[in-house]
Amino acid sequence: MKWNPIIFRFKLPPTLKQLVDERIWLVAFIGLAGLLLAYPLWADGYSLNLVRDMLIFGIVALSLDWLWGKGGMLSFGHAAFFGIGAYSMAITSINLDWGFSSLLGLFASVAIPGIIALLIGYFLIFAGVRGAYFVIVTLAIGIVSQQAAISWVSVTGGDSGLLGIPPLGFTLGDHRFQLDNSLSLYYVVLTVALLSLLFLWQLSRGLYGNLLKGIENNEKRAQSLGHNTSLHLLIVMISSAMLAGLAGGLYASCTGFVAPDLLSLMLSTEIFVWVAVGGRGTLLGPFIGAFIIMRLQQVVSSISTGLWPLVIGAIFIIIVFVFPDGILPFIRKFVVRFKLLFEKSGVKHGR
Amino acid sequence: MEGITYLFLNAMTVASILMVVGLGLAIIYGLMELINFAHGEFVTIGAYTLVAADLLGGSFWMALLCAPIVGALFGILMERVLIRYLYDRPLAVILATWGVSLIIRQGIQLTFGAKGFGVSDPLVGTMSIVGVEYPVYRLFLIVTALSIMATCYLIIRYTRFGLDVRTVIQDREMAACMGINTRRINLMAFSAGSALAAIGGVLIAPLGNVLPHLGLGYLAKSFFVVIVGGVGNIAGVAAGSCLIGGLETFFNYHIPVSLSQALVLILAIVIVRYRPQGIIPK
Repeated sequence: MKWNPIIFRFKLPPTLKQLVDERIWLVAFIGLAGLLLAYPLWADGYSLNLVRDMLIFGIVALSLDWLWGKGGMLSFGHAAFFGIGAYSMAITSINLDWGFSSLLGLFASVAIPGIIALLIGYFLIFAGVRGAYFVIVTLAIGIVSQQAAISWVSVTGGDSGLLGIPPLGFTLGDHRFQLDNSLSLYYVVLTVALLSLLFLWQLSRGLYGNLLKGIENNEKRAQSLGHNTSLHLLIVMISSAMLAGLAGGLYASCTGFVAPDLLSLMLSTEIFVWVAVGGRGTLLGPFIGAFIIMRLQQVVSSISTGLWPLVIGAIFIIIVFVFPDGILPFIRKFVVRFKLLFEKSGVKHGR
Repeated sequence: MEGITYLFLNAMTVASILMVVGLGLAIIYGLMELINFAHGEFVTIGAYTLVAADLLGGSFWMALLCAPIVGALFGILMERVLIRYLYDRPLAVILATWGVSLIIRQGIQLTFGAKGFGVSDPLVGTMSIVGVEYPVYRLFLIVTALSIMATCYLIIRYTRFGLDVRTVIQDREMAACMGINTRRINLMAFSAGSALAAIGGVLIAPLGNVLPHLGLGYLAKSFFVVIVGGVGNIAGVAAGSCLIGGLETFFNYHIPVSLSQALVLILAIVIVRYRPQGIIPK
């Protein structure tokens, strides 16, 4: 780590808030990971698939949190990257008849959203497009990509989508290895989710996290310290799109079909709600938010399917007015308060 | 030659709708620096005012008179209940208005149903203009849009209210110091913007099917009109809507609709990259 030793030398001791943050985070992470690893022991096939899909959507929410919570850029069309990843997977693996075509599809589902994000991001971020403008442009990207998926019938299958995506696997010699039972798929998705979560968490705890925080607080100041802020934001945007695309690829190969719903504005809206409810910038929160909101969606939809958009709209207004920080920061606030109380009383008794 | 005239008139039709809707957005965005994600829903509300008038036996002209009132009332309600608490939180405004837009869209769908309504043409027939036969309604639409633009320009330029508005755009704090009630200006601007979107909705309705998500397509497009044209002036809105509407119509002649919309979007992004202040800066 030759490139910025000063920050290491002058690393401040963590504040109480940071300590509590990290402790809550680790406890929640280990608890959730343990629960999810052990889940197949008692779950039936249906609910296993359900939790697998929730985890995939959790990965998408994680990618939006990486972009919005850490990079400070809110995307309102994040489902576009997810859907493009899913369609890349579907088109590659259906049309290529080759032993490794599904692996190639997974590669395409990461690479193509990455390239699209590179092109869009280059034009937007280097033009100084930030904040509200970024939201508008990403909204437009979401609308256009859904229209493209519906009307480009020869490639995307139009409204009915594409069916018959082969499961992930490859052929070596005469033998074919493939993931076709729900247990192995579940563990593959869980591994991807946990690894990407840990990786992004480590990244944002360290120097790179500091840099991103600095850019979000005051981009001009970060620039004057010699950082190419636009480049870093572009890197965040591309990696976020790639992660969302990977989730899309996994989703396509798990469920076996893709439809224009995967790119819809409604899905983008839901992804945003998962992140906002779980707690923006916490990385773990989006998973929790996704679980809670999708559970709520099932309950509401079982009453009436037309009700859900109304509920989502109301959730937006509740987020804005009642708890703008989300669940995890809400818990942290309580723990910090409790700790302060405890420490004060401890001092009193000690003397 | 005839083909070019048709192309020009069709482009003018698209551009004049964008002009009316975009002008409403530009007033709200330029004056209050608020991003109103429910703006498209005001277009839908306008279109459904016409549908409701049709169902109740009223005429197009009645709806054209009622729609701005309905739109303005919804706008006032939204400003009073939600937005006035959020003036210092720009991102929260986006979220709250998006929530409202979801609720309005679904509310309309639950009330009127998901299927589209066809509205009969209020002005049947064609008229010959510069050597081609062109539908009268479309000509009426273009003339109406242009006169709305001109009226807005005159109001902003020559009335006391317009002077106040320009003062607030230039410097909000100083305007308040000079005794201008900026909160009242905000409310009036918001309701005027909503009313313009609703008029746009009525004007669009006879051209095609009226669907609950009609306004959504206009949301992104009218934002691009405002950004590409240049924030904060009427000439910018006119230039932006002519550019976006013209490009879209031109591409539609040669390539599929969705592809042409994608192309327009990409061009808009490129324009923003190289001319972030818009075609016509303030």
